[in-house]
Amino acid sequence: MSRTTGFVRVDSLSRRGAIRRIALALTAAGLPGGMDRADAADVHEAVEEERTFAGEYRVKYFNGHEFKTLERLSELIVPEDEGGPSGREGGAPEFIDLLASQNRELARIFSGGILWLDHTARELHGHAFVECSHEQQTGLLDALVEAERTDTGSNTARETGEYARFSVFGVRRPSGLRGGLEFFDWARRLIVDAYYTSPAGIKDLGFVGNASHSEYRVSPEAIAHVVERGPFDEI
Amino acid sequence: MADPKYDVIVVGAGAGGGTMTRVLADQGIKVALVEAGPMLDPQKEFKTHKWLHDYGHRGTEHGGKAYFGKGQAYGFLRTINGGWELDGEPYTSAPGTRFDWFRSRIVGGRTNHYGRMSFRFSDLDFKPYSRDGIGWDWPFSYEDLAPWYDRAEEFIGVTGTAEGIRSAPDGKFHTPPEPKAHERLMRVAGKGLGIPFIANRRAVITRSINGRAACHYCGQCGRGCLTESNYSAAQVDIFPAVKTGNVTLITDAMVREVEVDSEGLARGVVYVDKAGRVERRLEARAVVLAASACETARLMLNSKSKHFPDGIANGSGLVGRYLMDTVGFSLLGTFPALENMPRYDTDGFGGAHLYAPWWLWDGHGKLDFPRGYHIEMWGGFGMPEAGSFTPIARHAGYGAELKRLARQMYGCLIGLSGRGEMIPNNQTYMDIDPDTVDRWGIPVPRFHFSFSDYEWRQARHMERTFRALIEAAGGKVLGIANPERENPGIAVPGSIIHEVGTARMGDRPGASVLNQYCQAHEVRNLFVADGASFVSNPDKNPTLTINALSWRTAEYLSEELRKGNV
Repeated sequence: MSRTTGFVRVDSLSRRGAIRRIALALTAAGLPGGMDRADAADVHEAVEEERTFAGEYRVKYFNGHEFKTLERLSELIVPEDEGGPSGREGGAPEFIDLLASQNRELARIFSGGILWLDHTARELHGHAFVECSHEQQTGLLDALVEAERTDTGSNTARETGEYARFSVFGVRRPSGLRGGLEFFDWARRLIVDAYYTSPAGIKDLGFVGNASHSEYRVSPEAIAHVVERGPFDEI
Repeated sequence: MADPKYDVIVVGAGAGGGTMTRVLADQGIKVALVEAGPMLDPQKEFKTHKWLHDYGHRGTEHGGKAYFGKGQAYGFLRTINGGWELDGEPYTSAPGTRFDWFRSRIVGGRTNHYGRMSFRFSDLDFKPYSRDGIGWDWPFSYEDLAPWYDRAEEFIGVTGTAEGIRSAPDGKFHTPPEPKAHERLMRVAGKGLGIPFIANRRAVITRSINGRAACHYCGQCGRGCLTESNYSAAQVDIFPAVKTGNVTLITDAMVREVEVDSEGLARGVVYVDKAGRVERRLEARAVVLAASACETARLMLNSKSKHFPDGIANGSGLVGRYLMDTVGFSLLGTFPALENMPRYDTDGFGGAHLYAPWWLWDGHGKLDFPRGYHIEMWGGFGMPEAGSFTPIARHAGYGAELKRLARQMYGCLIGLSGRGEMIPNNQTYMDIDPDTVDRWGIPVPRFHFSFSDYEWRQARHMERTFRALIEAAGGKVLGIANPERENPGIAVPGSIIHEVGTARMGDRPGASVLNQYCQAHEVRNLFVADGASFVSNPDKNPTLTINALSWRTAEYLSEELRKGNV
C-alpha cells in the first residue's frame, strides 16, 4: 500500500523544476492512499474542532493591526475573481491566527514578517502596508516575487531550489528584500491552503467528491474531452 | 497442562489475528485476543465524510505540525494510531542499512487504512524455485490454497473481473466500478504496449453482504468506513467474533514473550499491561502469533528459555531471516488532454479502478530480472488538502494567475507505481538489538537490509515501462515521484509496508520455522498467522494471502484441538 498530504514533502525537495513540484502536490490530492509519509505521528492528540466558518471566530494571537494585515494579504494573494471569493473569505486570517496561537515558530514568522512588511512599506511609501494604495501593495508583492526568483540565498530559495537556475547563470540580483521572503512564502502557503480547503475554494476547483452514490458513473463529457484532446480516437 | 480459561491466545488484532479469532470463535473455541494498541471506536475515530474545513487547523493538526513534518503519517483524516516512529518504541538499523518500519497499534491494525489491493498469488508464485532456481518453493501449491482464497474473498468481498491471466488468478468477485476518464486513457496506451489494464481487485463490496452495506463511492477507504463497505479486521472479523461470547479482547497489552512449560510446549504469554506498566500472564492450550512479521519474529527471538536459548522454535536459526518488502518505484506524468477537463466525481471506490497485473510472466528469458511486478495508478480530482497547491502558488507568484493555474492543472496528472517481487536474500534480516529496550522493557529489533541487482534491475524496467506508457498516452514525464522515498530510484526498504518472511514455512525443520499449516516445527502448540510465514513475496499485496492462510491455519488448529493433539 502506499500515500497524503503532499505538503510535508514538497517543501523539502531540492533543486527540481517548479513544474515537477506542481505535479507532486496536485497528485497528493488525488491519491487513493497517500503516497507520502510524514515523519512522526502523535496520534491521539486532541483535535481542535473549532469551525472557521461558524462566524464567531475570536482572534487568539494577533493584535488588530496584524489581523487586518493578514486580511489584506489574503485578499491580494488569493484575490476574488469570477471563480470564487478571496482567501479572506476562505478563512485564511483565522486559520493563520489559530496556528500561530499554538506554534511559537509560526508566531515568530508571522509577527516578525508583518513588522518587516510594515517597516519596508514605510521606507518605500511612508505608510504601514495596509495603509498603502492598492498599487503600492501589489508593487511590494511583485517585488517579493521578483526577489525570490532572482535573489537566491534566502531560506525559501535555498529550501525549494525553485529558482536556483538564476544564480547558476549569474543572473542573481540583490533585492534587499530577502528578509521578507520566509514570511511571504509562509503567508502565501497558508492563505492558499486555507482557501482551497474552504467551501469556496472547493467550489472554485469544482471538486464534487466526498459524496455518496448508489452507482458510480464517469462523466461522458470528461471522456469526450480526453478523446478530443488526447492521442486516441476512443478511450 | 493446566486448565486454562482460554483455548487459544492470539497475539495481534490485524488481518491475520482477526481472521484467526473469528474462525476459532465461530467454532466455539475460547480465544484471548491480545492487542498492543487501544480499542477502536469507528463512530468516534473514523473521519468518514468529514471536510478539512470542519477543523480549524484544516488537517494540518495542532499548531500546523504537519507543516513541520510532525503530522500523522498519511494525513490527518486517516485512521492509523501508529506511524514510522512510535513514542518510546524505537527500532534500530545496522550501520549503512535502512528499513522503515510502520506499526499500527490499534484493533484492526493496518487494515484500518491499507490500500485494500487483493490479489491472489498464482501457481507460478508458489513454486518460484522450480521455475528459475532462485529462492525457495512454498510447501504447497496454488490448488491447495485456492479454496481458502475462495472463502476469504467470499467473506471479505473483493471486486474484479474474470480475465484468465495466469499470473493473476481469477477469484470470487464483486462487480467493479467502471474506469475513470484518465484510467481509460492509460488503458488504451497500455494496449498498444501489450500491457493489460484490468479491473482493480480491492477488498470493497459493491453489493451488500453479511449486513454490510454496498460501497457508496466516497473514495475514503483509508479513513475507515462507517458503512463497513470495505474490509477491516476490526469491523469484519473482530467485532462479530466478540459477539459470539467466545472472545476476550485485551487491548493496550504489549506481549513480551511466549513462555514454555517443562516439555518445551507453549504455556502462554507474558505481556505488559500498558495502563499500569505491570507484567501479566495468560495461559492457554495454544498460542498464535499475528503481531506483524517483524513483531512476531521479535517476540519469538525474545522468548528465550532452557529449551530455546536462541528464541522459541528457532532451532533452525531462521527466525528473523529473509525479511522482505515490496520493490516500489513511481513515475508521474502531466497530461495536456486532462487540463481543464469537465469536473466529475473521481473518488470512486477508494483507489484506481484499473490496474495492470504482471504481463511478462512467460517472458523472463528475455529480461534481466527474475520476477514480476504489477502497476498501480493514481490521478483524478482529489479532495484539496493543505499543500495541494503550494507548488502552483510558488510557480505563479500570487494573485489572479495563481487561481487560474490551479484550475487548469487540477486533475491533469497520472501517476504509475510498480509493486514488484523482492527475492529473499541472506543480507536482509532482523535480529534483536542487544543494547536497546523500549519503554515496556522489551528488547527491540535491529534491521539489516539490502536490495540486490534483481530488485534494482526490476525498478529500472518499471521506469522504462512507465515512461513509455506516459508518453504513449500523450503525457510528459515529470521525473521520479516521491524522490525522498525512492532513494532515488527504488522505494526505501520497508516503506511499501509489505513486511513478510521472518519465520518462513517449509517441509524441512532445519530449513524452515513453520510447517505448511504455519505450525512451529519445534513447538506443536505454537502457530503464526501473519506475513512472517511467507516463503517469497510475490508482486501481490500480502493481506489477502494472510487472510487465506490464517483461515487455513485456524481450521487446522481447530481440528488439532479437537483431536487433542494440541
